[in-house]
Amino acid sequence: MKGIVKTFGGIHALNGVNLNIYPGEVHVIMGENGAGKSTLMKILSGIYQPSAGEIIVDGQSHSLITPKQAAQYGISIIYQELSVINELSALENLFVGRMPVKKGFGGEKRETEKRKGSSFVEKLGVVDWPLMEREGAAMARGLGLQIDLRKPVGELPIAHRQMIEIAKVLMRHTRVLVMDEPTSSLTNVEIERLFTIVKQLRAEGTSVVFISHKMGEVREIGDRFTILKDGSTVGSGMVPDVTNDDLVRMMVGRTVKQFFLTEHAIDREQAPVLQVSNVSSYDKRQVVDVSFNVYSGEILGFAGLVGSGRTELMNCLFGTMARASGKVELNGHDITTRGPVESVKNGMAYITESRRNTGYMPNFSIKTNIAVSRSIKISPMRGLWGLIKDREESAIAEQQRKLLRVKCASVEQNITELSGGNQQKVLVGKWMCTEPEVFIFDEPTRGIDVGAKSEIYKIMRDLSTAGKAIIMVSSELPEILAVCDRIAVFHSGSIADVLDGSTATEEEILNLAISGKGNR
Amino acid sequence: MNRKQLASFWDQYGTLCILVIIVIFFSALSPATFTKPDNIVQIFVQSAITILVALGEFFAILIAGIDLSVGSILALSGMITAKLMVAGFHPILAVLIGGILVGIVLGAINGSLVNFTGLHPFIITLGTNAIFRGVTLIISGANPVFGFPYEFITALTGNIWFIPAPVVLAVVVAAVLWFVTAKSRLGRNIYALGGNRDAAYFSGIDVKLHTLIVFMISGVCAGLAGVLSTARLGAAEPAAGQGFETFAIASAIIGGTSFFGGKGRIPSVVIGGLIIGTISNGLNMLQIQTFYQLVVMGSLIIAAVTLDRLIGKTR
Repeated sequence: MKGIVKTFGGIHALNGVNLNIYPGEVHVIMGENGAGKSTLMKILSGIYQPSAGEIIVDGQSHSLITPKQAAQYGISIIYQELSVINELSALENLFVGRMPVKKGFGGEKRETEKRKGSSFVEKLGVVDWPLMEREGAAMARGLGLQIDLRKPVGELPIAHRQMIEIAKVLMRHTRVLVMDEPTSSLTNVEIERLFTIVKQLRAEGTSVVFISHKMGEVREIGDRFTILKDGSTVGSGMVPDVTNDDLVRMMVGRTVKQFFLTEHAIDREQAPVLQVSNVSSYDKRQVVDVSFNVYSGEILGFAGLVGSGRTELMNCLFGTMARASGKVELNGHDITTRGPVESVKNGMAYITESRRNTGYMPNFSIKTNIAVSRSIKISPMRGLWGLIKDREESAIAEQQRKLLRVKCASVEQNITELSGGNQQKVLVGKWMCTEPEVFIFDEPTRGIDVGAKSEIYKIMRDLSTAGKAIIMVSSELPEILAVCDRIAVFHSGSIADVLDGSTATEEEILNLAISGKGNR
Repeated sequence: MNRKQLASFWDQYGTLCILVIIVIFFSALSPATFTKPDNIVQIFVQSAITILVALGEFFAILIAGIDLSVGSILALSGMITAKLMVAGFHPILAVLIGGILVGIVLGAINGSLVNFTGLHPFIITLGTNAIFRGVTLIISGANPVFGFPYEFITALTGNIWFIPAPVVLAVVVAAVLWFVTAKSRLGRNIYALGGNRDAAYFSGIDVKLHTLIVFMISGVCAGLAGVLSTARLGAAEPAAGQGFETFAIASAIIGGTSFFGGKGRIPSVVIGGLIIGTISNGLNMLQIQTFYQLVVMGSLIIAAVTLDRLIGKTR
């Protein structure tokens, strides 16, 4: 790809990007949110048309690629947002749009790839389930995916859904595989498996384009890198030739000191800010008798495997999930909640793990998304009563925009036009302006670039210094170790142990998370 | 004007353009009768009931739901209002109880059922539509009810100053609801609910309470329309309002309300209602039989919305 330019309504999303992908390499693309990575990939796969520049495939120059051409060239993309169909089984998802048809029932060719371009009549036919099960099972085995392929995908955990997404693409003829932050919802074991697959593909001559923010991953798997910044290529080369600091400097255009936990004493003799006792979910399998304290100036982390019940616990605290028992006290006052309305009024904030599903309103501007919860908090009658004070809300939105450094043209812009990291900042801003005492951050840096990550950490630290109780759920161990003062490790619905953040190690946490027992 | 400007222009004034096109169309076909000032006033009067019902329906669609029971609510509240007056209640009291209170209660039944069962409003209101119609038939013995005070009819069919009373009522209700949607927290919460129900819930919006209120608004609008309809006909018909949900939904959709929720504006819904009223009146002027009118009406609805989507596609 040479000199690619893409403009959206006068704004340059890409401004002359060059990208060379060689056969059999893992090419890492890095850059802050909004740097243009996703846009570039959408041009590569034919979803967007470039405003200028050329795309050269096998020596043939194109001014643009159509999705059909991309498929012919074997360019496949796995997006950040999953595209599996929840209602269909895993098997059906693997074969969606190209199910094999039995011989003699309209399908003369058993090869699934050859079915492209077949006539309508040929498409009607009897699905060859045994063949599908054989091929699907082989694929699942190759990926080390131990699931019932006949189960609807919606019932599987997110990590498994992502593996199915990957399997789906691998079943097609693929020469260039693009993965947009594929590891953000995978556990370490699954990431290892994914890397094994990537290495295997590389050995077979497939090029893998890997978009990631995680230095560890880049080091482990990347051969070559390209760094984008504000829509331009700012650096490219071989991964072993550069240091992590070099990469970060290129990405943000300045040297960012890695976030360190500032040494500070926390007085655990005095009464805790937040005291949670004996919380159990109504569904006995999800959260079992959890108690913990958060002290002034402290960030309490929750580590654990995906599906261990951390998010469910947070939902029980916030009142969005039915609770069988439990008590929540803030500075000695009972703030046990019956529902989210009360939680907001009581001064709780919950930054959920899914921006799109439980975070923002897609039909609202940045400003309105910021203002909506605050308006519930300050309104009598459960948020029903009162008029919108437009000027005041503009001022608040503007203030949060500056404070959190949200990159946008104006706060009147629709929130869906922002990049993931900026959307996350808006959601943090939405809760900040409700002036809460308790913050729950559930995977707050998922899909966010390094710069924005350290900004979010800093916000969390500032809030805790100001005496707010901060809870952070994270599946990224380095992050949780760097940010949290204490780490509660979750194992099948309850806290296995609480570790000191300054002395805990990744191995220790993992052991607890997997077995529920420490190795000391 | 490029495509993008056209789309944004259409977003703002598309519904109005459709109205203008339809007015020109009928003026050309029946110039003598259609454009007479009397007939223009008549169009507004005829549209008033449709607009009222559509205003309520708008809220149900705004939260990505629907209210199929508006026609039956119209009939039942019109019937109860008439019964109360025949039983000797003062017309004002009868309207307050029969029109407004009954409308609110029936809407509250819809909303509570939606909240309690968690079923889609389509199913709930499909059921209550039959129930409310059945109750109307039971209490009336399937006979029209008439013989209520003359003042009731003159007050609701006459002019206030020089504007017909139904038009005044529709305009006042539209103005109040516009204020709610554009300026109040309640209105914004409803938009939030339509945009992303789960996110609204996690943001602290009382989802069930707002769903209840939405159906109460829909109910009271249909109830008021029922009172108007009773006055207009001079009798409460047990079959009144049958099929009105179609026109109400059509008005809201022609007015650009998104079926997926969270998008739409009150003024456009009012214009949507006027479009339906104009088509109906225009077809009458062309002396097209009622049965054929339904066919034409349905086709025009599809055409209008298709046109809207085609032009608005670039946004």
